[in-house]
Amino acid sequence: MRRGMVIDLKRCIGCYACQLSCKAEHGTPPGVFFARVLKHEEGQYPTMRQLFLPVLCNHCENAPCVDACPTGASFKWAEDGIVDIDPDKCVGCRACMMACPYSNRYYNDSPQHYFEQGPTAYEEARTARHQTDVVMKCNFCRDRVRSGKQPACVANCPTVARIFGDLDDPTSEVSRLIKDRGGFPLHPEAGTKPSVYYLPP
Amino acid sequence: MERAKYDQLIKDMRSELRPQREWSEGRGIFMVAGHFVVGVAGGTWLFSLWYADRLGLALAFLLAGLGGILHLANLGRPARFWKMVLHFRTSWISRGFFGLSVFLVGALLYLVPLYLPGFLWGGDSPIAAIGYVMAIVGTLTLIGYMGFVYTASKGIPFWNSPLHPALYVTYALRGGIAGLLLALALGGSGVDSLNNLLLLWIGITALVILFFGLEVHGALTSGNAAAKRSVHELFAGRVAVYFYGGTLALGLVIPAWLAWAGLNGPLTLGAMVVLALASAMGDFFMKYSTIRAGVFLPVWTPLAPQR
Repeated sequence: MRRGMVIDLKRCIGCYACQLSCKAEHGTPPGVFFARVLKHEEGQYPTMRQLFLPVLCNHCENAPCVDACPTGASFKWAEDGIVDIDPDKCVGCRACMMACPYSNRYYNDSPQHYFEQGPTAYEEARTARHQTDVVMKCNFCRDRVRSGKQPACVANCPTVARIFGDLDDPTSEVSRLIKDRGGFPLHPEAGTKPSVYYLPP
Repeated sequence: MERAKYDQLIKDMRSELRPQREWSEGRGIFMVAGHFVVGVAGGTWLFSLWYADRLGLALAFLLAGLGGILHLANLGRPARFWKMVLHFRTSWISRGFFGLSVFLVGALLYLVPLYLPGFLWGGDSPIAAIGYVMAIVGTLTLIGYMGFVYTASKGIPFWNSPLHPALYVTYALRGGIAGLLLALALGGSGVDSLNNLLLLWIGITALVILFFGLEVHGALTSGNAAAKRSVHELFAGRVAVYFYGGTLALGLVIPAWLAWAGLNGPLTLGAMVVLALASAMGDFFMKYSTIRAGVFLPVWTPLAPQR
């Protein structure tokens, strides 16, 4: 099995629900965005359009971050192909951040909170559990997925722009969408074989 | 995360060509310094062996130890450093850690009889021979691995060049000559032995310039937008002052002028030291400015033809 995601750029309305639900699910500190949305304008007035590109870890089949990691802290789960980080093994060398062609890794360099008054009760409960001085990234909400749920960004997308499934199964919805609608990955030239595909806008 | 740093991160993430800061700012500066010092150590060991300079060997050992400490200072979790040997099969950092460890152990085994003859084991004993071989293996690993660390960084197109390892080897050799010159000067060696080293320094400096020129030419002619931005940052952007002041003026013009003077007449002890230090500092600024000029591959790609 190879878990993967398809993001329909025609359906994405740039509402940031994925970004916020990810933050709520993982309690990520300031400056860490497992899922984020990029905005871009194409063309020239009056024939121009605004595009949104939701990005997250691509869980590459040939993950350069896994190869670059000197400790094995960055690793790939054999049973579902999800690329994950074991924070207990990470030494904080940041080599994986340099190796990632998608800039989707973040270094949590100190205990952080959003407000100058100090951490909120929510932050004390959720954000503080993350180790500092290690690298963090999206893990396709592996705990949720293993309990039969969808990743938070998929479950909370109001336009159903995100579809999650098994890329190895040719009958799955993700495989069918990629085939029927010309799904493409980001930076295929990097040779990383990402597990996140996009449908053209 | 302090407010200014957070704002900087958000600003960086909003820009299409995001500069890398992890390996050049904050504790990342120790990464640059560590690579610089370890490279000089490797080169100094090789040239000191060639010139049979005992002080140069000791200097190389001390520099390698310092480089190891600087590498640890770069880590977020230095107490876990021993885990870095676990991924030797694919990680160049892991290989470098292995090389440094082997070098430090081997160099120590080799240096003990040189400085304490007859104390624990002799210079012609198997232990010293094993140390010699380990130090050579470690030195070659140290000199070779650094460029590959950057070449393996697929996120930074400017570093992701096949010339980078060759460039780092030449840096290490140039730094090695600087280290040996320093050791010879400190040891009060005769000036006569320096002419060959000066010629060698000129030759290796020419190679550094050639490889660097080819790398920049490759980035400008066949590189993507990120590689081109890095070159811009280097020559006319936020790191230009380090490149022109540190790399060119300090690392090339001053030592070249002294080398020219050395070829036309004997150099004073002070001039030798200035040449060695200026050359080495130039290499540091070369590494610092090229690393800091690194720009991440833009995430955005052309998505589809215009409707």
